[in-house]
Amino acid sequence: MLELRNVTKVFNPGTPNEVRAIEGVDLTLEEGAFVAIIGTNGSGKSTLLNAVAGTFLVDSGTISLDGTDITRWPEHRRASLMGRVFQDPFTGTSPNLTIAENLVLAAQRGLPRRLGWALNRKAKDEIRARVQQLNMGLEHLIDNPIGSLSGGQRQALTLLMATWLKPRLLLLDEHTAALDPKSADQVIALTDAVVTRDRLTTLMVTHSMHQAANLGDQLIMMHRGRIIQEFRGAEKRRTRVDDLLARFEEVRRADQLDETAAEMLERTYV
Amino acid sequence: MSLLIGALTIGFILSLLALGVFISFRIFSFPDITADGSSTLGAAVAAAMIVNGVNPVVATAAGFAAGFVAGAVTGTLATKFKINGLLSGILVMTGLYSVNLHIMGRSNVPLLGEKTLTTYAQAIGTTVLGGRTSLNVMGWEVSTLDASVLGLTFVAIALTGVLLYAFFQTHLGTAMRATGDNSRMIRALGVNDGNMIVLGLAVSNGLVALSGAFLAQYQGFADVQMGIGMVVWGLASVIIGEALVGTRQLGFIICGAVMGSILFRLLVAIALRLGLNPNDLKLITAVFVFLALILPSLMRKFRSRRVRLSHA
Ligand SMILES: Nc1ncnc2c1ncn2[C@@H]1O[C@H](COP(=O)(O)OP(=O)(O)OP(=O)(O)O)[C@@H](O)[C@H]1O
Ligand SMILES: [Mg+2]
Repeated sequence: MLELRNVTKVFNPGTPNEVRAIEGVDLTLEEGAFVAIIGTNGSGKSTLLNAVAGTFLVDSGTISLDGTDITRWPEHRRASLMGRVFQDPFTGTSPNLTIAENLVLAAQRGLPRRLGWALNRKAKDEIRARVQQLNMGLEHLIDNPIGSLSGGQRQALTLLMATWLKPRLLLLDEHTAALDPKSADQVIALTDAVVTRDRLTTLMVTHSMHQAANLGDQLIMMHRGRIIQEFRGAEKRRTRVDDLLARFEEVRRADQLDETAAEMLERTYV
Repeated sequence: MSLLIGALTIGFILSLLALGVFISFRIFSFPDITADGSSTLGAAVAAAMIVNGVNPVVATAAGFAAGFVAGAVTGTLATKFKINGLLSGILVMTGLYSVNLHIMGRSNVPLLGEKTLTTYAQAIGTTVLGGRTSLNVMGWEVSTLDASVLGLTFVAIALTGVLLYAFFQTHLGTAMRATGDNSRMIRALGVNDGNMIVLGLAVSNGLVALSGAFLAQYQGFADVQMGIGMVVWGLASVIIGEALVGTRQLGFIICGAVMGSILFRLLVAIALRLGLNPNDLKLITAVFVFLALILPSLMRKFRSRRVRLSHA
């Protein structure tokens, strides 16, 4: 359903700060796939997600969703198809608006904003009911500014916002990285629950080998802007944290070898 | 007494300006100085139409519409053409100076003897009071003209405030507030944040122009210079209002902006009465806003130093 063909993004092209953040990435997601993405720092995981979400337009390649080419669509237009949760709990919510106002904005994701009342009684009742399902006691606070909540509470609400209207695609970018271990576990449990319940097609970047090994049915490893390995089906189910760590170690050694080789060549020829 | 009523009336009229500035500076964090030009624009359009025999209600509405367009232009420069927000406002404000001169045909249009909202107000007041030319308020003699203009201005501002509050509770208004608060989030929720800014600045400058149109009819003339310093004036009112209500709740802040505008106008009227040179007014307003802007961080510094000293 999601298809990336030969997607490349270069930041600051033609300057000394040029970064080839993703290069020639091909990726196909089946309907209902739950894909975890891991990779070293700066390997292009966030860039890949942002390319899909339309935070910027890619330099080359095509992105299509459900057979529609969305490569040139602006971010706000793609949002009608995608729900997002960001790494920083401050990015996904509007701090000065109340919990209820934030959620009602999400309940209109991708719809034209009109002059009807945002929060009538019916809307508030539904918000209270769905917030209650988070089991965080937030249903009594829906008229408080969302900025007064903790990071974990905000991420849980952002997840609720992203999935309020069932998205065609759910994008999660290290959405538990900024949380304490307990909140992180809570948000991961909520993620697993909603993805399973609604059978959401999901792309989840994670920093945790543990999450990568235990969640999802497909695993992608990125390095230097490229996808270097994919685990699917039975192979993915067999994969353990140790396997992933071993693979990373391999990558690191290969890099070192590359560097030593380059140094040697330099010493010999320059 | 007529000094007090005059200050109140102008305070109410300028509270529309404060509400406009509140939208651009506070809701969108957009330093929009188009207001200096659109305030005069509203006055110019209304005055030119009234002189040409147009119904003053229609002329005032046209003033609002002209400001709306001016704000939309600033918003478009800033979002579609990616010009710095401050510069977008400067460009439109500068351009408006010529536009205003063209609309008025000269630098000053007197409205004496014309049919304006002020004469309407007087007519209504006279009917209501049964033809009396003055009334007695707690021992003070107040002319029917002053009282009815103040009354009608109050009604107009209350209506605008309520409408504005209601607007910000709609889906569209909520999306606008979120745009100023967190544009990344609102884009991820499928809203074109650029369009929100264009519309927001349009409404903001529409209100500012409306205030200009009222002011011209109240003081009896439109002048090409009358908008100078309006942004800073509006900002001062908003800051005073925020200090008065001390909360971030929208309804209170809207009331606060109106109260701030009135209080500031009263303070100015008193200062002028006590012999303040009118030429110094803008300088004093600017210094006041400067102080209000730096005061919070100065207080924080002062407090943290006190804490450190008490620990030592
Ligand atoms: N907006 C940008 N402008 C310039 N360079 C960028 C930008 N965004 C990312 N980069 C660069 O692109 C590369 C890939 O970044 P990206 O954020 O995708 O990595 P990541 O895999 O998400 O890393 P992390 O694990 O640290 O989150 C990095 O070198 C980064 O510095
Ligand atoms: Mg990242």
